Amino acid sequence: MSKPTVGIFGLTGCAGDQLVILNCEDRLLDLAALIDVREFLMASSENDTACQLDVALVEGAVVSRRDAERLRAVRARAKTLVALGTCAVWGGVAAMDRGADRPALLEEVYGKDGLSYDSQPAQALHEVVKVDLNITGCPIEKDHFLAAIANLLNGDVPVYPTYPLCTECRMQENNCLLTERGALCCGPITAAGCKARCPDLRVPCVGCRGPVSDANMSSLTATLAEKGFDREMIAARLRTFAPEGAAQ
Amino acid sequence: MSKIVIDHLARVEGHGGITVELEGDTVGAVHFDVFEGARLLEPLVRGKRFDEVAPVLSRICSICSVAHTLTSLKATENAFAVRVSPQTELLRELLFRGESIESHALHLFLLAVPDYLNYPSAIALSADKPAVVLLGLRLKKLGNLIQETIGGRAIHPVNAVPGGFGKAPAIEQLIELRSALMQGMADSDAAMDLMASLPAADFCHCDTVYAALRSPSLDSYYAGDEVMAVSDGSREIFHATDYRALTNERAVPHSHAKHSAFRDKPFMVGSLARLTVNPRRLTGKLAVAKKRLKLQLPADNPMDNNKAQALELINDVERALEIIEQLLRAGVKDEPPVPVHPRAAAGTAITEAPRGLLIHSYSYDAEGRIASADVITPTALNAASLEMHFRKAVEQSAERDDAVLSRKLQMIARAYDPCISCSVHLLRRP
Repeated sequence: MSKPTVGIFGLTGCAGDQLVILNCEDRLLDLAALIDVREFLMASSENDTACQLDVALVEGAVVSRRDAERLRAVRARAKTLVALGTCAVWGGVAAMDRGADRPALLEEVYGKDGLSYDSQPAQALHEVVKVDLNITGCPIEKDHFLAAIANLLNGDVPVYPTYPLCTECRMQENNCLLTERGALCCGPITAAGCKARCPDLRVPCVGCRGPVSDANMSSLTATLAEKGFDREMIAARLRTFAPEGAAQ
Repeated sequence: MSKIVIDHLARVEGHGGITVELEGDTVGAVHFDVFEGARLLEPLVRGKRFDEVAPVLSRICSICSVAHTLTSLKATENAFAVRVSPQTELLRELLFRGESIESHALHLFLLAVPDYLNYPSAIALSADKPAVVLLGLRLKKLGNLIQETIGGRAIHPVNAVPGGFGKAPAIEQLIELRSALMQGMADSDAAMDLMASLPAADFCHCDTVYAALRSPSLDSYYAGDEVMAVSDGSREIFHATDYRALTNERAVPHSHAKHSAFRDKPFMVGSLARLTVNPRRLTGKLAVAKKRLKLQLPADNPMDNNKAQALELINDVERALEIIEQLLRAGVKDEPPVPVHPRAAAGTAITEAPRGLLIHSYSYDAEGRIASADVITPTALNAASLEMHFRKAVEQSAERDDAVLSRKLQMIARAYDPCISCSVHLLRRP
């Protein structure tokens, strides 16, 4: 059987999800033996930019016409398109205030030149093209990436946790930062999958994996309001990694 | 007029290209084109509380996420006059070393070395020379192990917070790191041997201005508030709060990165600049390695930055081991972060990210929310110097063949180890 063809792409972001792939140091050469990576600009200067792809892995958000055009071109070549990381799945940090006056921000930062830049409010991939699989996380978890490849190689789709981070946190028997310390912890509404990495280090969850599908926002907001946090601040915190309106 | 155009630079982080215009043998416009999308993170961080800032600005770049996190924390702590414990200082320096080891190993082995040996990628190289690639991957993994142990995650560390750390590492974890670093000693020596064995890369020579953090211990990426610029044997020192005197940024139409010049000359930051500014780091094993690499300082060849990274790999492993020994001797306390008392104040911090000087400068309102933020990254600082070296390489090349010139330009670009996501940053005008 011929090896499945794979392309790895980065739109606008920090390249952290591609770096997670390169951080699979013990698996990298095995992976190269199992899949045929045809395009991976961050790691190779020999790329086939036109071939059909069995799997396209795309990280980053769409923040320019150029990003949108690249994404549509990748979609047209790929049987399966995977959104890699919180920016691709939700829009990520660049989308936190996408209602803001963008020309004003561009001018503030770059002067008048900024007004001519190719720049638009950040979007998640699914807002531009059809996405077949989402792997969230900022960055994604290595295990989730490897499980995705293993499953896709076998014609399967990986399954990721659909419960909130709090569930993982309790399994680790951590003291609750929210109820016991009154910290603004996003655990109750954030998708699990990181083994509650931050609360496990006594650091409140910032919600970098994006919201869990059945998040109980109103109950969390009420709990936080009881602890003295104002509603505007809570709302700003909740949209830091996943803007309102990006929900799928 | 003819043009050399490299549309989309491969084997670098982010999205950039190169354009060089030629009028016969005369070099016209030279552009390092940055077309990474603008994320406008600095204005977006406005209104965020002091403890929310580092997790957002860390996302400027994955490869430098420790540097962004710790520089952000240092700027915030400077604003609120927070003095962290000596243990926190040591752990932060160790975290910096972990990032430097990972970043240099990634850059040298996966991005730069394939060029010298005429391969398109490390994966292609691994088919013929698996030992070389495995060596690089081992060093990379070592850097990540340090970042995971101290920072809680290899990318976008979560354990470093204003005032200290969420949780200190356990003694057993430090002992495990120590044994990994022992292997790292041999591996960083082997990396230097490899770099010394590569064919010479000599594409341009010219006087270069270098700028780097001047640390009180001469050997820190984290401590210190002064920058030294070295130019033609003359030296000039700036305090962190006067960083604009050094950077003089201006926006340029072809790039979303801003360009910097010092006394009207471009300057280079990164490993080579660090060794030039702090040459006294190069004692013992490093002095021997410098000789083997045939590295002269100050260098007039930007490709020497690759050699400087190989030297720093040795230094980073040595320094990380020293820090761990020091922590094990003193014992690790599980201390809570120093409390932060916000007030209306401004704070600036300068550190050394793997690819050079990184500056975060904030002002806070009375409630401890960001009023304005300015971030200046090494790749933005390097952009003008990079264009200068592109120009010299084309001017000094006897060959006029496009493919030859294009290869030289790409290798120079990679030697700078650009991090293009980083370079797209926003500057609030004063």
